[in-house]
Amino acid sequence: MLAAMSALVFGITGAQAQSVDTGAAEGLLKKSGCMKCHSVSADKDGPSFKKTAAKYKGKSDAEGTLFKHLTTGPTVKVDGKEERHDIIKSKDDREIKNAIAYILSR
Amino acid sequence: MGWWQNLRQRCQTCSRVTLGAGVFAAAMAVSFVLLTAGAYGLAVTSTEEFCIGCHEMRENVYAEYKGTIHDKNRVGVRATCPSCHVPHEPVALVIRKMQASFEVWGHLTGKIDTKEKFEKHRYEMAVKEWTRMKKNGSQECRNCHHFEAMEAEKQSEKAQARHAKAKAEGTACIDCHFGIAHKEPDGPGPRELKIAK
Repeated sequence: MLAAMSALVFGITGAQAQSVDTGAAEGLLKKSGCMKCHSVSADKDGPSFKKTAAKYKGKSDAEGTLFKHLTTGPTVKVDGKEERHDIIKSKDDREIKNAIAYILSR
Repeated sequence: MGWWQNLRQRCQTCSRVTLGAGVFAAAMAVSFVLLTAGAYGLAVTSTEEFCIGCHEMRENVYAEYKGTIHDKNRVGVRATCPSCHVPHEPVALVIRKMQASFEVWGHLTGKIDTKEKFEKHRYEMAVKEWTRMKKNGSQECRNCHHFEAMEAEKQSEKAQARHAKAKAEGTACIDCHFGIAHKEPDGPGPRELKIAK
């Protein structure tokens, strides 16, 4: 209820409004090898979670876009070369959405 | 040499040779004791037990390190605190130990003796260590991980490409592999630090 109200009042997405299980999110991101190219606040080959959160701030399709990005392995550019983005190592939508909520709340 | 004259006057029955041999033996004994004590001190302060002797390390960075790949893994080889944070080369080792002796002052004055204080100083401490590891080309990583011994074909394509680039550009391991044993601090990472090598 509180989460739904927050979403209505502040216009934040479902992923951001739900409470994040930080430990589970960090565990899944680590298990999936995300931290090899991404970091919470520092630059690596991929954007930091903070940059991603800033990019999608206030966008209603943030969760959907990131869900697709993490589950379909789209092509991304690293050092000017195209490569396939790794797919998150989970088949559990709730678990994946929790990781997305973690990223968007950085 | 006043001390020599003084010694000869005190022991007038001793010959020069006997007195000289005595002085030499005493100097050797003192040197032996000092060297042994120094080596013992260096060895003892370079152990995991010593590092986690204070709660600042034990309850923060050590707790975070537990369970990571460097603590527990399939083959049971561990990289403990000194493996990564204490140089193995003699000169670098002594310099780092001298720097560390100033850190004892921080312990005595309680600079990071609570979780809040530790978090407040986490980034500055990380930057210090990243800076050291960038300047020495991440020597402590390379004591175990040798580019030359890596079988690239056993790495993922992405890892191969990243490592080839790092080797060509002389990038330090820490530029990419940070926050792997401890919580990542909030702020720009090693790559963003402009440090002259």
